[in-house]
Amino acid sequence: MATATLPSAALDPDDVLTQSSGRLLWRTGFDRWIGWLLPLLFVVAIYPILDLVYYISSRAIPTLSWAILTSTNPTATDALGVPIITTFEIMAAATLLAVALGIFGGVATAEFLSTRAAEWVRASANMLAGAPSVVVGYFGYIVFVTSFGWGLSYIAGVVTLAFFMTPYVFRTADLAFSSIPRPIREAALGSGSRPVQYILRVGAPIAFPQILTGVFLAMAIGVGETAPLVLTTTYGVLVPQTLYSPVSFLTGLIWANFSQPQNSGLQILAFQAAFLLMVLVVGLNIVVRIISAQYRKRLEGLYQ
Amino acid sequence: MTAGEGMGSSDGGTVLSVRGLTVAAKSKKLLDGISLDFPSQSLTAVIGPSGCGKTTFVRTLNRMAELTPGLRVSGSVKYLGQEIYSPGTNPVLVRRRIGMVFQRPTVFPKSIFENAAFGLRLVHEDEAEVDRAVTESLQRAGLWDEVKDDLDRPALSLSGGQQQRLCIARALATRPRVILLDEPTSALDPAATQRVEATMQRLKEDHVLILVTHNVGQAARVSDRVAFLHAGRLVEVGPTAEILERPRDPLTEQFITGRFA
Amino acid sequence: MQASLGSEFDPAQPLPPSSTASGPSESAGRRIARGLGRLIPFVPALIPAVIIVGIIGALLSAGLQANLGRTFFSFVWNPAQNDWGIGVFLVGSFLTAIPALTLSMLIGLGLAIASTAFLPRFVSRWLDPFVDLLAGIPSVVYGIWAYVTLRPFFSDTFNPWVHLHFGFVPGVGGRLPSTGGQGLPLAIIILTLMALPITTLLIRDSLRSVPQDLWESGLALGATRWEVVRHIALPYSNRGVLSAALLGFGRAFGETVAVAMLIGGASTLPTSVFSTSNTIPATMFSLLDSARNNSHFLSALADMGLVLLAITLVVNILGRRLVSSLYAYEMAGL
Repeated sequence: MATATLPSAALDPDDVLTQSSGRLLWRTGFDRWIGWLLPLLFVVAIYPILDLVYYISSRAIPTLSWAILTSTNPTATDALGVPIITTFEIMAAATLLAVALGIFGGVATAEFLSTRAAEWVRASANMLAGAPSVVVGYFGYIVFVTSFGWGLSYIAGVVTLAFFMTPYVFRTADLAFSSIPRPIREAALGSGSRPVQYILRVGAPIAFPQILTGVFLAMAIGVGETAPLVLTTTYGVLVPQTLYSPVSFLTGLIWANFSQPQNSGLQILAFQAAFLLMVLVVGLNIVVRIISAQYRKRLEGLYQ
Repeated sequence: MTAGEGMGSSDGGTVLSVRGLTVAAKSKKLLDGISLDFPSQSLTAVIGPSGCGKTTFVRTLNRMAELTPGLRVSGSVKYLGQEIYSPGTNPVLVRRRIGMVFQRPTVFPKSIFENAAFGLRLVHEDEAEVDRAVTESLQRAGLWDEVKDDLDRPALSLSGGQQQRLCIARALATRPRVILLDEPTSALDPAATQRVEATMQRLKEDHVLILVTHNVGQAARVSDRVAFLHAGRLVEVGPTAEILERPRDPLTEQFITGRFA
Repeated sequence: MQASLGSEFDPAQPLPPSSTASGPSESAGRRIARGLGRLIPFVPALIPAVIIVGIIGALLSAGLQANLGRTFFSFVWNPAQNDWGIGVFLVGSFLTAIPALTLSMLIGLGLAIASTAFLPRFVSRWLDPFVDLLAGIPSVVYGIWAYVTLRPFFSDTFNPWVHLHFGFVPGVGGRLPSTGGQGLPLAIIILTLMALPITTLLIRDSLRSVPQDLWESGLALGATRWEVVRHIALPYSNRGVLSAALLGFGRAFGETVAVAMLIGGASTLPTSVFSTSNTIPATMFSLLDSARNNSHFLSALADMGLVLLAITLVVNILGRRLVSSLYAYEMAGL
């Protein structure tokens, strides 16, 4: 093998690999500098979360106790039992309704609609998801509270919240069924099963984890919503006794008491509600992650 | 500087010199102690079975291998006597002198002119110089006649073969001495392949070309020398005719007879 | 043997008419039922469309009650005198949404670029979800946290300092309104935080979709990482960046509760950058109570809702158009 190499002294200046012309230094330097600066922006994003969690926890936890969490005493100003139970009741009812509407709608869109019609429906689902929460609240007020005559009530809140959550469940159901692999779908329908049988027997088991994920995500969004409920309900100190009862719920509690004097009992109450809300949201998101991880494993097995 | 001046010395000196090049990923060695030289005005074809490390090899030559996380490069690669892996060396400069053409045509979403001028614009701002260099590169890549009427057309409007020649022109514009080509014709139809091969044969008079190819016929057609890699090791290297017709190593022979199309 | 449903199958006899037979022997009732049956599966699919139409309809019906006419976009809002000019709130909405969008786009770009071009994969893999977490925090929780921690900062530190050192800038100098920290700056900051996960996610995904060998081609030509981002990756993903801007704006513009808690609820035009103000959604949210028995008031609020809905829908539709996949970001709850 030839080993003759050119001595450095005879090198074309362009060939010198260690040159440091002004422009090159600037380009390299800038690149290095920005490679440090941009990642620092993560501090801007992460610090608020950490501060928020820390601050709320530090205000809420010291005075929190099992007694307070479970007390349903209507005259106590620090009891959280009623708001907690009511929040759960509202969420359960709203989720049920949203799931019914969303799954029926999503599956129907994925399975029965032509592509053009489906595009329109999906667009309207996206529009609904993009509607500001206050607008949905107004819809609830105008239609359910006023027009239907339910008044500011538990049921008006539940249905309004359900309508708010529906597009999220809808999209997930639609997506889940749309992504069932064609060979599986065609095999089932081609061998004579009717669409409903296919949906229930073949599609549902495959789509189930994804839809479940979507339901929990919708719940995580719904539990944190304030406007749809505040605009359609009125404050109450008891757990809802009838469909038309007044209610108190976590987000409403925060909204009502956030501007109370510093460190007053009511403000602490608001922080405790905020803390519980965060726990719920984080919990739901963790559940979503767990299901997603399981789903991925199962999905991998499906295609092998 | 006109084409050819300072481009390759007629004394056949070594432009790129590799010694003991080893690339490790976790516990596995992708390349194991490769040593070989690349003289000026040559076209060396690097062949071997899939996974033998030929792409990893060429990527170490322009300091692109280190972009893959987890790879550790050791050994020496010298460009005109200068170690490209030494701490004082700027990879940006290395890549300006050692250009690369990829498997798929990778034109940028810009005009033909801006594509060809890209590498240059990073360095020069003199419009006249850029203009001149773009024209020259497009000519040398064999694309000029087809695009000269409208250089502002989007590069993506060109055919696959034209795009690949544009990528070659783009690499030429920064006046590298060495051009690495990683299976440049594998995504092209036979007619386009032929034009790229013709371009490579023209270019080898002024540059050092290192061509990774899985097509032994291509190696036979365009290269002066062939290096055969197997499982990360350099099995043998030599003049094309010798390697392809009278390989010394049984591994080489197995590969060639199995692959000759 | 008579062929009838439920009898034994006799091969010598013709098959009995099945219950799904069509043709002249089918009764009219059954035919109608069958036609309806075919239609039924389609009906649930209409649910979202029905709801959104319902929303628009409800707002329209409530909004057309009163004759608000030509004064609707004026800058005079005085319910007591039947003045329903929403101009004040529109101004407030834009004065908060646009700066918030700008800031969140800048930070989002920086984060996305850092993630895709500068940080090693194993680092960005756990840093990115942190930013996405910002999206999961309920609006009212943002509000209370900001009210208690950021508001004093603005009233005691930020506002006075900026007022002192930048007083020469129009809008900054002059009288410093005493707002207790509520007002435009605080609202802008919180909206920035709320729009940030959207902009970051969209831009990051867009940059990630740049093919690997395009990125490498740039580097192979002797470009620095920044130069590849600036000249190759960003131009390639400009649709994604645009959709980030549109959807981020939609988020900032439509945000209701946190803004209501932090902006101070004014009904006149801001006189300085530190003033309190109000946005359309915040106004709608906080004033519904007062409008309950006043149909003109309710009408005005409903009309504000229509304006709000129109703007957010347009922005969302445009933003989604630019990103082609089916429900690309539904998992992020966007």
